[in-house]
Amino acid sequence: MATFELYRRSTIGMCLTETLDEMVSNGTLSPELAIQVLIQFDKSMTEALETQVKSKVTIKGHLHTYRFCDNVWTFILQDALFKNEDCQEMVGRMNDTYSIIV
Amino acid sequence: MATTTSAVYIHVIEDVINKVRDEFIQSGAEDSVLNELQALWEMKMMHCGAICGPIERSSMPKQPVAGGPITPVHDLNVPYEGTEEYETPTAEILFPPTPLQTPIQTPLPGTAEHSMYNLPTPSEYPVHDTGGATTELKPGRPSPYMQPPSPWMNQRPLGVDVNVAYVEGRDELDRGTPNPNATQDFFTMSSGKRKREELPPQFHTSGYLPQQDGAGDATFEFFQSEASRGSSSFNVRGQGSGNPDKLLAKVMGASSRIPQQDGPIADGYDDLYPYQGVANEDYNTVTPAGHDLQAGTPIGGAKNEGGDDDDEPPLNENDDDDLDDIDEEGEEQNTQHLVLAQFDKVTRTKSRWKCTLKDGIMHINNKDILFTKANGEFEF
Repeated sequence: MATFELYRRSTIGMCLTETLDEMVSNGTLSPELAIQVLIQFDKSMTEALETQVKSKVTIKGHLHTYRFCDNVWTFILQDALFKNEDCQEMVGRMNDTYSIIV
Repeated sequence: MATTTSAVYIHVIEDVINKVRDEFIQSGAEDSVLNELQALWEMKMMHCGAICGPIERSSMPKQPVAGGPITPVHDLNVPYEGTEEYETPTAEILFPPTPLQTPIQTPLPGTAEHSMYNLPTPSEYPVHDTGGATTELKPGRPSPYMQPPSPWMNQRPLGVDVNVAYVEGRDELDRGTPNPNATQDFFTMSSGKRKREELPPQFHTSGYLPQQDGAGDATFEFFQSEASRGSSSFNVRGQGSGNPDKLLAKVMGASSRIPQQDGPIADGYDDLYPYQGVANEDYNTVTPAGHDLQAGTPIGGAKNEGGDDDDEPPLNENDDDDLDDIDEEGEEQNTQHLVLAQFDKVTRTKSRWKCTLKDGIMHINNKDILFTKANGEFEF
C-alpha cells in the first residue's frame, strides 16, 4: 500500500522528526537509519489510521482559500466547525486542510 | 478522544520501533540507540500532550496543554501581584508616589539627607513601586490583575538608578510617614515577582531593577508623574500646610494620569499642571535638589535612561496590555489547526465545496483527533 509522508507533519510525526534530528546531530544515529525510521513511521501511521481508528468527522466552515497543487489539496478555513461522533465541537479560526490524493 | 488518540500514537511508536529494530541490528547500531529513540520520542509526545500516558508515559499530563502555556503565565502574575498585600497599605500607596516625585524632580533642598537616604532607597523603591501598582490596582482590582502586573514590570525597569533618586524622596516621605515597614514587606513580595529577570543584588527591590531596565521608560514617566505630584505634596509639608488627604488625592490622580505622563517628561508636566492643578512651584523646588544628587551618583545615568525612556513610557502601561494581547495572539497563531488527511474526492457546486477525506489527523485546539472519514462542506 502506498505510504504518505503527510503524517510527518502531525504532532507525532514532528516529535519523531525532532528526535531523529537530535540523535543524528549527536552522532548517535546515522542519517540512513533515521530515514528508515521515518519511512517505517509513514507505514505504521497509515496502517494505524486504517485499522485502529473508526471515528467520523464532519467539517463545516467558510473556505478562505483553496489550492490544488501536486495532487495536494489545501483548504484554509475560517470559523470552521468540527464535529465527531462524540458530539464534540470545535471551532478553529484558521484551519489548514491538506489532503493527498489516494 | 484523547485516550484513543494517545493509544493509537503509542501503538504507532511501538510498531515503528519494533519494525525498525532489524534494520538497526543490521546496521550495527546498538539496542540502546533504539531505546533512546523511543524514549525521546515518547517524551516529546508527552510534552506536546499528544500522549496522555495511561500506560507508562502517563507521568506527564499534557492534555490540558492547549491552555497550559498561557494560563501558567497568568497564574504567576496573579500570585506575584498579591493584591491583598498591596492594597492594604493605603498610606504606602500615598507615599510611594512622593518618593518617585523626588527622583524626577531631582532638586531637593537637603542633598546631604538625600545621600543618607540613598542607601536605604532600594527598599523604599520597591515600596513605591508597589504603591503605584496598588493605586492602579485599587480602581479595578478584581478583573485587571493581569493588566496591572505588566505595567509594574514596565515601570520597574528604570528602577535601579531611579531607586537611588527615589530613595531620597522616599526617605523623607518615610520619615514623614509612619508606614515604611509595611511598604517594605510589599516590596519583598513584589521582588519575588521580579526575581525572574535579574536580581536583586542589593535588595529585594533590586529584583525589580532588572525588569525596570526594560520598561524603565515607563517607570520613569510614571515616577515623574508621581514625583511631580509627590513634590507637590512635599512642598505642602515644607510650607506646613501638608494635607494627607491632598497627598492621597494627588497620588490617586497620578496613578490615573500615569499613562498620559508616560510621554515626554515635559509633556507629562504640562499634563499634570492642567489636570491636577499641581503647583508648578513644587516641581521646580523639588527638581533642583534631585539633579544635584543624581549627578553625583550613578543615578544620574539612570535619569538619563529615564529621559530616553520618557518617550517610551507612555507605551509602558498600554504596552503591557499590548504585549499580553500579542502573546495571546501569538499563541493562538502558534496553535495552528491542522488537518492532515487523504482525500477521496473534492467537488464544487458554485461556491459550495464538498470534500471527502479519510485517514486523517486533526490537530485542533491543541488536541489531536484521528478520523477514518471526514466530510467537509465549505462556503467559498
